[in-house]
Amino acid sequence: MKHAMMTTVAAAILGLAMAGGAARAADKWDGGDDIATSPLACDAGPPAATAAKPYDGGQPTAAPDKAGKPITIVDVPKLIGIGYFNATSKGMQDAAKELGNVKVTTDGPTEAKIDEQIKFIDNYITRGVDGVLFAANDPVAIAPVLKKALSKGIHVVGYDANSSPDAREWFVNQAQFNGIAKAMIDSLAKEVGEDKSFAIVTSTFTTPNQARWIAEMSAYAAKCHPKLKWLETVEAQEDNVLSFNQATTLINKYGDKLSGLLGMTSVATPASAEAVTKANLCGKVAVVGLATPNAMKPYVNAGCVKSVVLWNPVDLGYAATYVLRAVVDGKLKAGGTSVEAGKLGKLNVINGSEILLGSPFIFTKDNVKDFDF
Amino acid sequence: MTGMTVLTEGARRAAPRWLIRHETLLAAILIVALAILGLFNDRFLTVDNLLNQGRLMTEVGIIALPMTFIIITGGIDLSVGSVVGLCAIMLGYSWKNFGFPLPLAIVFSLGVGAAAGFVNGLLITRVRVPPLIMTIATLALYRGLAEGVSQAHSVRNYPEWFFFVGQGELFGVPTQLWILLVGIIVAGIALDRTTFGRSLYAIGNNETAARFSGLPVDRVKLLIYTLSGLAAGVSAWVLVSRVTTTRSDMGIGYELDVIAAVVLGGTSIFGGAGTIWGTVVGLVMIQLLKNGLALTGVKGDATIIVIGVVLIASTLIASSLQRRR
Repeated sequence: MKHAMMTTVAAAILGLAMAGGAARAADKWDGGDDIATSPLACDAGPPAATAAKPYDGGQPTAAPDKAGKPITIVDVPKLIGIGYFNATSKGMQDAAKELGNVKVTTDGPTEAKIDEQIKFIDNYITRGVDGVLFAANDPVAIAPVLKKALSKGIHVVGYDANSSPDAREWFVNQAQFNGIAKAMIDSLAKEVGEDKSFAIVTSTFTTPNQARWIAEMSAYAAKCHPKLKWLETVEAQEDNVLSFNQATTLINKYGDKLSGLLGMTSVATPASAEAVTKANLCGKVAVVGLATPNAMKPYVNAGCVKSVVLWNPVDLGYAATYVLRAVVDGKLKAGGTSVEAGKLGKLNVINGSEILLGSPFIFTKDNVKDFDF
Repeated sequence: MTGMTVLTEGARRAAPRWLIRHETLLAAILIVALAILGLFNDRFLTVDNLLNQGRLMTEVGIIALPMTFIIITGGIDLSVGSVVGLCAIMLGYSWKNFGFPLPLAIVFSLGVGAAAGFVNGLLITRVRVPPLIMTIATLALYRGLAEGVSQAHSVRNYPEWFFFVGQGELFGVPTQLWILLVGIIVAGIALDRTTFGRSLYAIGNNETAARFSGLPVDRVKLLIYTLSGLAAGVSAWVLVSRVTTTRSDMGIGYELDVIAAVVLGGTSIFGGAGTIWGTVVGLVMIQLLKNGLALTGVKGDATIIVIGVVLIASTLIASSLQRRR
């Protein structure tokens, strides 16, 4: 008797716990950061020039003058051991080799956790480096430790995921949020048609980049493709198995109503493509998303996925290293409008203290074989 | 009462063996490891670095104290990481959305933490749900609540004074380290010198016997799970203050760090044995090993491997010691 009651209660608690988790998934969630969106114009064409903004980055205190001298840099990405940050890390090594007077090490948490990342940066400040490159797990939470680095005379440059501007000197922006949003939604509308429904598989609602993209996508879709119907956004961490399960759940839940899946991470997109392939729905459910080309090659070559949106992460790491070197050498100062970045040529400064890598790139069946990362 | 006398005698008999006790051995290993790491890197054994490590250690440390109590009774609390997340959200949310003044919001979130722990304790004692199952369930439940309530919106822009606990200093020592130190002293005395502490060992050694000896087993358990929730609340307050932001994913995985520190410190996962002193050594050992290895140039992934090896090795030492007894 007692035993049976115990089991029932345990089951009830578990059920309750799951209901708590499911309750929030039912909402259409459109970005969690409450920052205003700025959707681009619907037709193609170069993005309109944004109004010039004064420099809003921070400055290190009493940084030693190491112009032209060898420097040691540490790179602390969101997490290590995934294809994307392996690619940025490779770009940094390429740049270091070209420059000859830069030594870069990549080190960071094995899970994308902000408090772990803070500890890594803190340790490197104690150890003593000339510069820190970072991709933030949280834009505000990372700020105190970056400010600490600046206060110890360490140069700080971000890439991939920004912090509050005053906590770092520069940020290398791989692609503007509204540019990515436009590329994603336009590709989707082109593939499935204007009046179909789609769902999104993202990492977590708190990841800053994904949150911004989804907010911008929501704004751009409302402006330029008003008939597209947004069914649901689900969280899948940056986890392969979970992403596959979430995508499969969406396919089963919405059946014929679902015409497109948008993957917001380099893990979610191939997993969604795999789910569509396993469900024998290639051609019926389109997959569009952010991903690295190598992970997507099988699906692109099989015709199951037509467009993969991304920038080149190798170039991103490469540019970040060049920017940090230029800052140390005094070639890029507050108020500068451009910076020379080796083989990438001249990169422009936008939004006060950001350096724009370029427009997003769309990998298709024709060009995917030319990329290896 | 007779059960109590037997216990005291047992403790007295073990006292001369302090030299081969797990915690003492661990402390010796710790000192050797620190000396070696200190030789390799001149920035490791500096007051600045050690105080800073103390700052980073506090959030896990505060929770490890009641966790030691719980594990001594043969229980476990896996929900602490989620309670940290829930309390962090409640702090930010009640301040921003309910319009509570910030001090009230802090008290409110501590109350939520204690309530979360109380619910664990209540079902564990009244309905006899095994602690492992109960707290796995609330691990999911409390995290779900944190994300559901906040809708994954972060809370930011706290006033400057709020950062005193997480980033400030008091008499040259990080503020939160004082909280941890007071906690250690209180918990240490409570475990070692009071009937409450004795009854924890009694429950862990033989719960049925403890019941028949007239110990208020259920009341004690209810108290320690509530304390655990409260400690997670304090930890959330310190964490939010340190990183200036409230996020619903805060504290994910804390339960493992906490339990690792407690069992490394010699507390038996089967209950009945363990000390606060051991937990503190375990805590310091993990934190300083991580830090020392990082400063010496060992990368993050290799560091976790070393921590894993240290945990296994310490368990082996502990069990071989127990066999010799």
